[in-house]
Amino acid sequence: MGVFVFLPLVLPLTALPIAKLAAQHLHPRATTRLLTLLSAVLGLCSTLCLALLVVVGTAQLPGNPLPDGWSDPEVRAAVPYAEIAGTAAIAALAAALAAGGTAVRRHGRVLARTHRALDGLPPGADPAVLPDDDPYAYAVPGTPGRPGKPARPGRIAVSRGMLRSLDDAERQALFAHERAHLNHRHHRYRLTVRLAGCVNPLLLPLRSAVAFSTERWADEEAAHVVGDRLLTARAVGKAALITRSARLPELAHFAAPEPGPVPRRVAALLAPVPPARGWPPALTPVGLAALIAAAGTAASALSSLNAAVALFLVLKAATPL
Amino acid sequence: MGGHPFGEAPGDSAGRSAGEPSGTSFGEPTGDCPDDSADAAGRERARRRGQGELEAQVLAALHHAPGPATAAWVQERLGGDLAYTTVMTILSRLHAKQAVTRERAGRAYAWTPAADEAGLAALRMRRVLDGEPDRDAVLTSFVSTLSAHDEQLLRSLLAAAGPARRSPGHHPATGHRPSDEACGG
Repeated sequence: MGVFVFLPLVLPLTALPIAKLAAQHLHPRATTRLLTLLSAVLGLCSTLCLALLVVVGTAQLPGNPLPDGWSDPEVRAAVPYAEIAGTAAIAALAAALAAGGTAVRRHGRVLARTHRALDGLPPGADPAVLPDDDPYAYAVPGTPGRPGKPARPGRIAVSRGMLRSLDDAERQALFAHERAHLNHRHHRYRLTVRLAGCVNPLLLPLRSAVAFSTERWADEEAAHVVGDRLLTARAVGKAALITRSARLPELAHFAAPEPGPVPRRVAALLAPVPPARGWPPALTPVGLAALIAAAGTAASALSSLNAAVALFLVLKAATPL
Repeated sequence: MGGHPFGEAPGDSAGRSAGEPSGTSFGEPTGDCPDDSADAAGRERARRRGQGELEAQVLAALHHAPGPATAAWVQERLGGDLAYTTVMTILSRLHAKQAVTRERAGRAYAWTPAADEAGLAALRMRRVLDGEPDRDAVLTSFVSTLSAHDEQLLRSLLAAAGPARRSPGHHPATGHRPSDEACGG
């Protein structure tokens, strides 16, 4: 397995160019799917290789729970710097699993608490209008039924403060936006990318990229439903401006001039509909970035497969079965 | 005003409060029931409990009152692990949010809940929004916060896109609009 076992840990770097470029050049739906797929595969491969390194690492520890044959010198010889790498991998894998577990638990807790809060409103009330003067609007994903817990459908929670500041047409755009989040299950993409970022921090930039592309996707859906891009842009802009005025002044930005997500969304809505192709043309920067990411992901998958098979063979040879 | 128009008025409250479930059925089950032995612990918990949760509890207690109730009645109803001044603070805050109304009754105020189930839901929602740092990862917000630079940029984008259409039914002033409730129903 040699050095191949380390490759999937750094190959997520190949996904960074596409994460940066996709938002400007691809349809947000394609961006979301592509980036989520990339980060899922890269995250899985990186975790698999950490686990393989952990096997090697624990094998050399005295009193390890693995079969004695696994601590065979042959096993250690299969990996360069086996001792350091193995020990580091134990810590890294533990941290990755803990971070992922925490993220999943928090996800469940926020969802459960939000649904409990909305329980007071009639179950059919969608959107759920909350008598609150602070402007906010959220898509609350549904939760699947589990033993002892009923399934809950996704809901839109919107405050009266938000509704009051939008006119009827703008409200339709807002509801269409939130419903697009729910219908297309954007929370699943976001959770996937979040977990990928937990297991390999190099994948963190994809998290914000996917968060942005799901918003853009919902914007495009809303514009399609209400049939007016300018109206949708105005709804987003107005909502952001009143949300801003309702908040405390934030800390000054020292390195400002990178526009934030809302102005970029409004600018995209004021521009024509993005082309709905699935894969960018090859001879453009974004096409090259997509190719690099695809090659990196394929290499990551092959490396981790190679490492897994190699370790399996070494262990099989070393362990008298 | 003769007698007590609020609190444990005989005849009115006896039948109702007996048949009613305890006040905790309104708020989220918090797991802390008033218990003298755990007084200090209760106080500690009360301090750590979020503002929103206390507001929801006070509002729930008021909902179970037979009529307008005093802060002392609310304090007693909540099991006494809150200081009187705390209850007063929460009531004032609810009043500022227009979740309760008050009228002067002698030297004290008598409080009546103005918020209904929906108002309570809103308070609980606020508790989630204020208390969960991870909420944005789970609940997708319509818009994220703007920096000052973003705000400028956004205003110029919208201005360039054309003059904002003045909607016929736009009332920036306070007060309900019938369509708000229509949307909720």
